[in-house]
Order: sequence, then C-alpha cells, then structure tokens
Amino acid sequence: MTTESLQSSPSRRRRRLQQKDWAPYVFLAPMLFFLVVFFVLPIGFALYLTFTRWNPLSTPKWVGLRNYTYLLTSDPTFYLTLKNTFVFAFGTVLIGIPIALVIAFVFTLSRGKAFWRSIYWLPMVTNVVAIAFIWQIILDGTYGLLNQLLAFFGITGPQWLSDPKSAMIAVILVAIWTGLGQNMLLFSAGLEGIDESYYEAARIDGANTARIFWNITLPLLRPTLLFVSITSFIAGMGSFTLILVLTEGGPIQSTNVTALYMYQMAFQDLRMGRASAMAFILFIIIFIITLIQLRIFRRGGVEAY
Amino acid sequence: MDRVVKKRIVKRYQVTWLGFVLAFCLSLGFAQDLTLAAHYTAEQAAALEPCIAAYAQETGVNVAYQQISYGDYLQTILTARIGGQAPDIYHIYSIWAPQLVDNGVLDAPPDNTLSWIKDSYISNTVDAVTINGQVWGIPTEVSNYMLVYNKQLLAEAGFDAPPSTWTELLDMAAAITKRNDQGNITTAGYAYGSSTATVVHPFFTMLYSAGINPFKDDFSGTNLTSPEAIAVLEQQIELFKQGITDRSIEVWDFPSGSIAMMFMASWFEADLRAAFVDNFDDVVGVAPIPMGDDWRSLQYAFFYGVDANSPNKEAAWDFLEWLNTAQSEGQTSCMGTMLMDLGALTANKADIAAAQDNLGDSFTAPYVAALERSITEPNVIQASEIEGILKTYIERAWAGELTAEEALTQADKEITTILKEFY
Repeated sequence: MTTESLQSSPSRRRRRLQQKDWAPYVFLAPMLFFLVVFFVLPIGFALYLTFTRWNPLSTPKWVGLRNYTYLLTSDPTFYLTLKNTFVFAFGTVLIGIPIALVIAFVFTLSRGKAFWRSIYWLPMVTNVVAIAFIWQIILDGTYGLLNQLLAFFGITGPQWLSDPKSAMIAVILVAIWTGLGQNMLLFSAGLEGIDESYYEAARIDGANTARIFWNITLPLLRPTLLFVSITSFIAGMGSFTLILVLTEGGPIQSTNVTALYMYQMAFQDLRMGRASAMAFILFIIIFIITLIQLRIFRRGGVEAY
Repeated sequence: MDRVVKKRIVKRYQVTWLGFVLAFCLSLGFAQDLTLAAHYTAEQAAALEPCIAAYAQETGVNVAYQQISYGDYLQTILTARIGGQAPDIYHIYSIWAPQLVDNGVLDAPPDNTLSWIKDSYISNTVDAVTINGQVWGIPTEVSNYMLVYNKQLLAEAGFDAPPSTWTELLDMAAAITKRNDQGNITTAGYAYGSSTATVVHPFFTMLYSAGINPFKDDFSGTNLTSPEAIAVLEQQIELFKQGITDRSIEVWDFPSGSIAMMFMASWFEADLRAAFVDNFDDVVGVAPIPMGDDWRSLQYAFFYGVDANSPNKEAAWDFLEWLNTAQSEGQTSCMGTMLMDLGALTANKADIAAAQDNLGDSFTAPYVAALERSITEPNVIQASEIEGILKTYIERAWAGELTAEEALTQADKEITTILKEFY
C-alpha cells in the first residue's frame, strides 16, 4: 500500500467535506419538509389571503389592503372583540397567576402535596366542552348551584352568563379555574428548584413566612413567573373554545373575543381573507406585548435562562 | 434466516398484497355511483336505507349516504370541493343557497324535474329554493313558526284561549309570570332564545305579519327603518320592560313547564312529546301568530341540490325525483316517510295528502295549514352574517342599551354595507 493511496487528494477531501456540509440537512430534511408544508406554506398562504376576498367556493380576488382598512376603520365589532380579548387575557393573567402562585407556595409547605397537586391538575385533563357544560349548570341564574348557595346567605346572585355585565367575569373565573392546575404545577416546579439554604438563612435571621415569600421566593421565581405569564397571556389572547361553548360570544357580544370573531368570520360568514387579516393583526399585537413582557422581566427572568 | 422461512414470509406478503389489489379492483367494479350528503344522523335517515337498496335493484345505481353534522355542513362541503371529493347530492339549508348559486356550486334542475317540482310542491316553499327566478332543487323538510303555549299555565291564570293580538299576549304573559325571592323569573309569560334563529326568526315572523319584508325586493337595502319594523321591535321590547321575560329565559326550557308562550318551529314537537309524554295534548297548544287577522308566519326549508361539477348530474336528478315520489298509490314518498318519522313537515302535496294520520294531529295540523300563509326566509347572500348582525342589535334593544329606532338604524347601516358588496 503506497502513501499516496492512504492520503486523499485535496479535491477529493474538499468533496468529502462538502458532502459532510450537507449531511445535517439530509437528516433534517423530513422535519424541514413538515415545517414547510404545515407551517411556512399555510402562513404564506394566509398572508396572501389577507390581500384577497375569498370564500372557499371561488378563486381568491385581490383587494389589496381593503381587509385591513375595513377591520381597522369600519368594523364596529372588531375593536369590541379586541377589548374583550384584552379584558379576558389580562383578567386570567392578573387574577389567575397570583392565585396559582399562592396555592403552589402553600402546597410546598403542606403535607400530601402530591395529592393536592393532583386534585388541582384534574381540570387540565378534563375536556373543555365538559367543563363548559358543567359550569353552565353551576352558573345558571335561577337554578344554578352558585346562586342557590348565595341565596342561602340572603344574597341575590347575578344572571352570570346571560347578563352582559357579568358574563365576562364568569367566563374569566371559569378560565382561571380551568388553567389553575397547570400554572400551579409550573410554580411548584419553580419553588422546588429554590435551594433550601436560602430559607434556612432567612429563618435564622428571623424572617417570617410572608417576608420569606416576598424577599426570597418571588425574586428567585422570576424565570418561572416570566414563563407562566407569557404563556398564559398568549393562551388568553388566542383562547376561544371555552367561550364558544359557554356563551358563544354572547350575550350581546359581551364575551366575543377576537379569536372567536375570527372563527365566525371565516367559517360562518365565509370571509377567509378578512379573517386572515384579523389573525395577522392579532399576531402583531401578541408579538408586541410579548416583547414588552420580555423587557419587563429581563432582569432575573430572561437573563436567568 | 432460514431460506424456507424467508420464502414463507415472502409468500405471505405476496398473498396479502394480492388481497389488497383484488379488493381495490372489486371496489372499482362495484363503485358507488352517487354520494348523498345530508345532516340527518344514520338513525334519522334509517327510512332511506331500504329505498336506496330498492333503487339500486331497480336501476343498478348505487347511492352512498354520507352524514355531515349540521353545524359543520357548509365547511365540510367546501373542504370536500377544494379536495375534489364533493358529493353528488347536497341537502342544503335554503339560506345557504344564494352563496352556493353565486359561486356556481349548484346545478340547475333539468326541465322535466323543474316542472315536476312546481307541480308537486306548495308554491310558498318552492320560493325558498328559488333565486332570481330560478329553482335550484327539491324542497324537503319545511319549518314554519306558530305560537306554542302551555294550556295549563294559561288556565291557572284564568285564560281559556290563547291570545290573538300582541296586546292580549302582553296582558296574559304578565299575569302568568312569577318570580322567586331573589327576583329571578321562575315562570315566564313568554320566551325568546339566544341563538340567531330564536331571535331573528320571531322578529321576521312579526315583520311579515305587519306586512313588511325585511329587505327591499332587489336586495339593495333593508326595510328595517320603516315605522312598522320599529313598531314590531318596540312590541318585543315591551316584554322585557314589563319583566315578562329576560335574557336567561330560553325557549328550550318550555319542556320544563316553566314557560307559557313562545314562537316555535314545528320540528320541536318530538322534544315536547318526549317531555310531556301522556300529558302532551293537555299541556301543549298551538295557535296562530297573535298579530291580528292578517298574521303571517316565517318558513324556512331544506332542499336537495346537485353539484354542478358532478359527473353524474342526470342520474342524481333522476334519483332525487324517484326518492321524493310515492312508489305506490296512497303511500308517502321515501323522503316523505322519513320526514314523517322525524315529526317534520313536508311541502310535497302528495305526501301531505297521503300522511293525514301523521299531519292531522292537534299539534301538526295548524302548522300544515299555516304553510299557505308562511313567507319564506329571505334568500339573501351572506344571510348568516346579516342575521347575526340583526340579532346583536335586537338583543341590544331588548337589553335597553338602544331604542328600537337606534338599534334598527344601526343594523340597517351595517347590513346595507354588506348588501352593496354583492347586489
């Protein structure tokens, strides 16, 4: 065997290197294929649709920016649904997260924490349609369990789901109940990750539970808080299944959120172009708010990752 | 691996593949000739099964029944069309028709079928499947609205007959309504619903009774701002102002015995019979719309249509005419039999004549008699969107957020914008 045959020529080596360059892409090809087919192409098509008028019965007709103009300047329902979306999303985040955090903190101090966590996790493994039906029965104005209970204490409960003034509150409370288990579990995981020595040191220094929670737990939990608040907010902005079953956006549009309005516009009114434009506007809004959240939580949140 | 074992495995695969190929060839040889897509469940459409089998034996044409739920019907057929898998025959809610016609989805019936439809069906119902003067299919299930009342609740309040005017209805309903200690209505004098149909259909019914069509004849605008339309909405608002009903009261609660009166379509009969069982005749009464002697009702219909791109259009129309024609003297057609089983109405004159046992009872007979004075739901493009807008404004007026005039003026403005897009 000669030395020449053992060593590859420079051109052959370059070819081999080039072949190696391609190797990762070859392995990634199946995933990339699915990404293109099921993500990039639909998004590209949806973007194209925003500039068209299209019911799926005919070919799309180019209308330029008319869908965006209509939604932003003429449609009286769009801004109402946007307002409802913000109320719903901020409601679920601002009320739901503190409750989940407090419950998770209490469970870390209690016995049988696995049992309690399982109980609170149950709504997450229950079908959302079933949840909505159960709550419809509980929240019935005349015969519902909640108002019967209030009546026992001499309080007249509102028509939770049929009064425009109370319907959104009721929907937010049900959404919080539904998502409580997941957020509680995420906080529990975050709490378990905090080193016990911090607490010991604080207790030696004479700090009480509230002080420990405020000065140790909360600052060290910022990465989890960031994650939970962003995911809850995004979920809240895009949520509509629960509302669809619970109130169908009523009464009088008081619980109609943008995602539900988008669904109605696309599949009931067959206005695919306008619904796509609405989806992109909603995406931009969620994107901007997420950036703001990232900015706010940067220290101790993003940087901690 | 042992060579014999390998051979066996290869042989087994060959046999399996041969089976698949054979099955495929057989399925081609006995391919279904027609596909019929309707929203009825297999149980509801059971009466069609022997008919389809008989038709296959008689003509050699096989028909496959495809069930699509009502809520997903339009989306499903749209998707099927995009994918090139559209059924040959559709069963369509009449208000979807203008959009389907506008986009060339439906085939116009051949001349012989057309004249058969015009001869065989009540003309008001043929209007439901007519767009711009062209009939687009064969009407099937028809629904119209009447005043359904609880005889016992009326009797307990001292009334032995239903109201015949709106003023009488208000007085009677007010006398019947009861509230609990918390102020919630426990027995409602009257009920609406929260769906588009249970809000808009009663409104249209009252508009027709007041002699007003919701839209201008050429669909260039609405008549919602007319004094008559405003007066109708004010009459409805009065029910809420007087505390006779509220948004928590739904027509669907009627079977619980807590509602005295409502405008309801005939198809609700099965639910009412299931609820009141033996007491049905003692409790449930049906009366004309209480809007004086010139009362009218609203009717809507489903109909069979054929896909314009179907390669079997002629066979589809032949089958549909056969399906809706009685096969023996004095009997109902296959479709008529199915509708009778469901407790639904038909506008097929021969079926009505042949099914007097089913249609002649105290609940159904008034609905059938009212078909002649029932005006069809407007066949306007984007009907679902338009009715959704109208519903919102009617509800806002009921809630006292807007006056009747304000609500209908705003509804008119939004609806006219949509009409201008298409007409």
